[in-house]
Amino acid sequence: MELIDLSKIPHSDDRFTRFIDDVCQSLEFDHASYATFNPITGAIQGFANYRADWIMHYTRKGLHRIDPTIHIGRKSIAPVDWTRLERTPHFQSVFNDAPAFGVASRGLTVPVRGPYGDVGLMSVTRDCGDREWRLLKKKVIGNLQVAAVHMHDNVMSSDVPMAALNLPVLSTREREILQWVAEGKTQQDIGDILAISHRTVEVHLRSARTKLGALSTPQAIGRAVGLGMIKPG
Amino acid sequence: MIIVIDALNRDRFSDLVNEMYRLRARVFCDRLGWDVTIKDGMEIDLYDELDAAYVMSLDQDGHVVGCMRLLQTTGPHMLADVFADILEGEPPLRSPQIWEATRFCVDTERLSRGGRSVNSISYVTSEVMIGAFEYGQSAGVLDAVAVIDPVMNRVMIRSGNAPYDYIGKTVDMGKAHALAALLDCSDERIDRIRAHAGIEGDVFLSEAEALALSGRGKALRAEPVKSDLEIYCDEQIANSTTAKERVDALRLKAALVEKIRSRTDVGA
Repeated sequence: MELIDLSKIPHSDDRFTRFIDDVCQSLEFDHASYATFNPITGAIQGFANYRADWIMHYTRKGLHRIDPTIHIGRKSIAPVDWTRLERTPHFQSVFNDAPAFGVASRGLTVPVRGPYGDVGLMSVTRDCGDREWRLLKKKVIGNLQVAAVHMHDNVMSSDVPMAALNLPVLSTREREILQWVAEGKTQQDIGDILAISHRTVEVHLRSARTKLGALSTPQAIGRAVGLGMIKPG
Repeated sequence: MIIVIDALNRDRFSDLVNEMYRLRARVFCDRLGWDVTIKDGMEIDLYDELDAAYVMSLDQDGHVVGCMRLLQTTGPHMLADVFADILEGEPPLRSPQIWEATRFCVDTERLSRGGRSVNSISYVTSEVMIGAFEYGQSAGVLDAVAVIDPVMNRVMIRSGNAPYDYIGKTVDMGKAHALAALLDCSDERIDRIRAHAGIEGDVFLSEAEALALSGRGKALRAEPVKSDLEIYCDEQIANSTTAKERVDALRLKAALVEKIRSRTDVGA
């Protein structure tokens, strides 16, 4: 996936908003937002690329306190299409005025659960017809999941006490497989060497990428080398 | 037929959720002898409080005949903790595209009663799996790591649904063992299971359909409603103060039993 790697952007205030813009661009959404509850203070922290007047309206009215895409969406293990939330008590009060601010009420919220009870929510919207929406979801849902976790893990590690907790812990298998990839072996080769299926190799690589906060395998290898977990190939 | 129940809709399905907890108690405690906690005949653990999702198979009477629990591997889940022994101290997999499946079971007692093919153990196992994989696919999930017992493993292998690999080792869970299997949420696997079990078309019930079916099950399970006549007779028996009164009251009920029974049948 061609997303910018958040950890490569200098720690400036707008890097999370830039990532959100990038998600919209590459996954074909109009708007995106991210919200998280600080696990210590319970405060909601968020980033969004909605129009400034909607963000003003949303904040002034304190809609984050009742927004079902945040408070109900967080309880799902799967991405929640907003059609599931339409009949919840506060959906209309939050989204009734949204079209006037150029915000579509067709959306999807991806809940991310972190290992310490931390929860992040990435929401995306697009103004389009039913069929187009269905096809788009099918096409990008996997990448959207990856983007949401990348965003969440980076927001969490921008917080100093959380960063200390979030040092990646790779399994022996994950390190071994990364080492073979670094040495130029294909997944098929590695499966043969380790006498496991090539799909198992892929599963371990996927997990290693997530743990290392990497969007691609080369990024994961770079980071694992940097952390002294594997030797350069 | 399949219904997915999660924290967003479980208020509407509390009867089914409780029935599932009772099924889990019968399977994991009584049959498999796993070291699980049972309270009021229900097997509930702390992962059920983490807003898990459940894939349930309902039979034509609205009974829960199969179930599975799903959790994300990015957050707290069983292999990271309770089942850590399976991984021999290694950290678990973590990916938004891998889900963990636990507490996968079917109601073998109820299913072996029927004898019809749509009620067979292998059919329900396959139906729950199809439901879980299709739900996972819609969420962008590519693989599942499932903690299962060896018997379930064999049922899956014989249903066109063999795990493509296992991770960690098989551990003792009391009387029976547990192991972690890898399963791809792919069209190929779903097609294979469907072909094997002869399951065609949409396996999912809408929420309204599931509610109607579960309501029917509830009505069937309920005690038959007593007729006014029977209530009157029972009151006479309860209120009798002497032995003679009591005998007379019992005779009255016995004399009217045909009427009571036919009234009850009409009522049911």
